[in-house]
Amino acid sequence: MENQNVIELRHVSKSFDGFFIEDFSLDVKKGFVTGFIGGNGVGKSTTIKMIMNLLQPDSGSVSVFGLDYENHEKEIKQRIGFVFDESVFYENLTLAELKEIVKRAYVKWDDSLFYDYVNKFNLPLNKKIKTFSKGMAIKASLTIALSHHAELIVMDEPTSGLDPIFRRELLEILHQLLQDGDTTIFFSTHITTDLDSIADYITFIHDGEHIFTKDLYQIEEEYAIVKGGLELLDQDTEQEFIATRKTAYGFEALTSNKRKAEEVFGEMALIEAPTLEDIMYYTKKGAVPHVQLNT
Amino acid sequence: MYNLIRKDLVLQSKMIIGLMIGLCVYLFLDVSSLWVGVVFSIAVAMNAVTIDEKSSVHILLNSLPYTRKEIVSSKYIVVLLLTVMVSAAIYVGNLAIHGEFTSLKNLLFMIAIAVTAISVMLPFCYKFKSSYLVTASIVAFGLYLLVVSFFIQDLNDRIRAFVEFLLTMQSTGAYVAFVASIMILYVCSGLVSFRIYKNKAF
Repeated sequence: MENQNVIELRHVSKSFDGFFIEDFSLDVKKGFVTGFIGGNGVGKSTTIKMIMNLLQPDSGSVSVFGLDYENHEKEIKQRIGFVFDESVFYENLTLAELKEIVKRAYVKWDDSLFYDYVNKFNLPLNKKIKTFSKGMAIKASLTIALSHHAELIVMDEPTSGLDPIFRRELLEILHQLLQDGDTTIFFSTHITTDLDSIADYITFIHDGEHIFTKDLYQIEEEYAIVKGGLELLDQDTEQEFIATRKTAYGFEALTSNKRKAEEVFGEMALIEAPTLEDIMYYTKKGAVPHVQLNT
Repeated sequence: MYNLIRKDLVLQSKMIIGLMIGLCVYLFLDVSSLWVGVVFSIAVAMNAVTIDEKSSVHILLNSLPYTRKEIVSSKYIVVLLLTVMVSAAIYVGNLAIHGEFTSLKNLLFMIAIAVTAISVMLPFCYKFKSSYLVTASIVAFGLYLLVVSFFIQDLNDRIRAFVEFLLTMQSTGAYVAFVASIMILYVCSGLVSFRIYKNKAF
């Protein structure tokens, strides 16, 4: 069967001062939106930089479109569109001048597509990029990323610092992009509500470890927030949870085994669907011993 | 690669025009064209480095379909091109302003000094930042004074004699060897810069 993973990281390790990613493996499926979530400083940007070959792993392998960077760097990058959370463009240039520089790098650059997005986003072509607001800068990045028929769009925190209206607009554009073709989107965010409407898969990273990659439906099936009185908690029941938050009135806990929680607590506890934020919060709270590693 | 070279020339076009005007002013004032050429060549080279120095720009260049080898080698080609442009401007400027032909030997010597200096500066800038060059220059000057004071007291005379020797060389073979050694130095500098840049994290 043809390999349907656009990105594959295998047993990747990378260490810096005070931070490391160890034995990290990840698959990103072709034609889907994968949301990459995790708190600040857990390794999201490092992973994205390794996917873009801005950082080389100390060990392990990174392949994109089934190709490695060692031998196919230009071929891979021709097919990727990128958006970073900071403006990476020459700030003294106008968007029109920048386009003239960037377009020459891409074989499949499409001027008409570029102007379509410029109009759609209301971007000024002749104003210097340094005068752009954060939202405009992200729109400019997105315009460049979408103007060369990229098969994979990699975005690092594209929605951070944006107002809700533009965030919604951005998500709509990504939606449209998916309907139009076979594009794969991989984007990191810590605004998890962005993902509910658009992501097919969620990849969750915590402290340099890949906790899971699951589709939203699967998360709903497996994870649950359990709420109940403190009398329900003992050592055995508490071990079923990733982490527990106790108050004077009761407890609230996250489980990755919803069915078992339903069996154990039955009607005695309230079992609810967790938000992605709940999963992030409790995973951090529960730290390593309770985390079920599952890819 | 061609696109990267073009990008550097486009980004620097205003700066290059400004520098060329400044160069003409110096030539008009009849300042030694050799040293004016060296200073201007180094200035344009450093400008070529600083326009790409922000880490965000490295993220851009390395995310575009270019290899790190292309990014470094294009910079070396651009800097060499700019140095040749400065010497051409001196040649034309001297002819237009003073009506005299600049000796090719002088121009070659100017390029040689500039290329030697740039060969040291570029790897330094890839490893650190160009802003540290001032500190490094002060340290180098301090070392030079130390050497002159305590070890080789006639260093200035030796340098002068060496320059004299180079400028009075008659044989073509000697010139070819001189140019070749400068080019080898430049290529080695490029290899060192590439090695530094290859594993740089952005």
